[in-house]
Amino acid sequence: MNCLEFRRRLGSEPNGTLAEFVAHREECARCASAQAAADAFEERIRAALRVPAPANLADRILLAQTTESRQAVRNRKRGVGALMLATAASILIAVIATRYQPDDMPVLAGLVIDHVHKHVVSAVDAEYPIPKQAVMAAFADRGVKLASVPDGVNYIQECPAGRYKSLHMVMPERDGPVTVVYVVDKPSTRTTDFNQDGLRGREVPVGAGSLVMLAKDDEGFDLIESQWKQAINEKVATVEADMIKTRPAGGAFLSHGLRSSVAAP
Amino acid sequence: MIDNPVGEFASAGELPGNYRCKESAMKPVNESMSSRQHQFEALVRGHSTDLYRYAYWLCGQDALAKDLVQDTFLRAWRALDKLREVGAVKAWLITILRREHARLFERKAMPSDDIDDFDLPDPQATPKHRTEESVLRQAMAKLEPKYREPLVLQVLGGFTCAEIAEQLGLGEAAVMTQLFRARQKLKGQLGFENHSAEVSEL
Repeated sequence: MNCLEFRRRLGSEPNGTLAEFVAHREECARCASAQAAADAFEERIRAALRVPAPANLADRILLAQTTESRQAVRNRKRGVGALMLATAASILIAVIATRYQPDDMPVLAGLVIDHVHKHVVSAVDAEYPIPKQAVMAAFADRGVKLASVPDGVNYIQECPAGRYKSLHMVMPERDGPVTVVYVVDKPSTRTTDFNQDGLRGREVPVGAGSLVMLAKDDEGFDLIESQWKQAINEKVATVEADMIKTRPAGGAFLSHGLRSSVAAP
Repeated sequence: MIDNPVGEFASAGELPGNYRCKESAMKPVNESMSSRQHQFEALVRGHSTDLYRYAYWLCGQDALAKDLVQDTFLRAWRALDKLREVGAVKAWLITILRREHARLFERKAMPSDDIDDFDLPDPQATPKHRTEESVLRQAMAKLEPKYREPLVLQVLGGFTCAEIAEQLGLGEAAVMTQLFRARQKLKGQLGFENHSAEVSEL
């Protein structure tokens, strides 16, 4: 590097560490002196560029960020933001909950609706089928051993339904998604169909608990009901058969066997 | 009859977290948020001042610079999970800020290349009481943005010519030329006698 090249580089990158640049400076006294002057000028520029920043700048940013985050959480909880992506099932639940009339539906279904109104499932979360093993694991965690898993469970979570334990699922059907909630520890006394503003619901006793279905159309209810009865009751039937085989005289085991599919919390 | 009434679900069990109700999964979510929040706070406290100064020299207005920095960090917060290299964080923030600045001028149709009313931090400085800093700031304010921006990135940001070229979408040689001229122009405004002769004299 010659002096001309050095000065050009000095003017564009005074703090450069290029080997040739450094080597020339060490060899050339005039360029070393120019470097010292350039360094001093750089320091003056740096001082001038350091305009005073607002004292509370970081706090102001953090306040804006936490406010935005909290607002987002509030919106999610209220379903305002999530409704943009909500499944039709979630939307219908919101409508049902808003216009809920206790006389039109069973109490347990009302509890389920209260829950799913708060817990809006986004379409993104219910896009793909959940692995059957995960569905089984979720039921097992609730103390219910499934004999089989119906196809098309795209969402499942352990959720509360009032004071009861439940599994909150979404099953896409031809006429739209169906919200299916299995309340594991509260059996219904009978099957009840209800209709709210054109939206359909059904509560069915299944196993030791109750199955609640909610959808825009009830065409898929019969199939879903039979699938879940098979999945839950088959196991009970198996347990019952085993018990009959092994039981001594007396008939106290049947009711015990029916309840054995639900563990204590 | 209610055999096993339960309230909120607090027990963890063995089920993967993905399949738990969001209501019952608050603790893990909070823990995750907390870690992310700490990372973000470190980012803000570590870089907000530098970013403000860069924004200030970009737009020339204190209030606008504050808004730009705030918007930049809010965008950074939303995209924080994309940040992989800690060493690249300053360049990442600068990129976001430049985009925010461009959006602002697109929205408001403001001229971005000619800032006449630079809101200098020491307006009270009279010719008698002008500090060297205030003189230099005025000179900086008069520089064309194409000279000022690479200089700010280099002197304040500590970026190399190659990094500045990448930020500005220019060639490295072009950036070196702009930096050279920026310094020459500054010296000219400051009345340095031999600023133009530094190279030609050789």
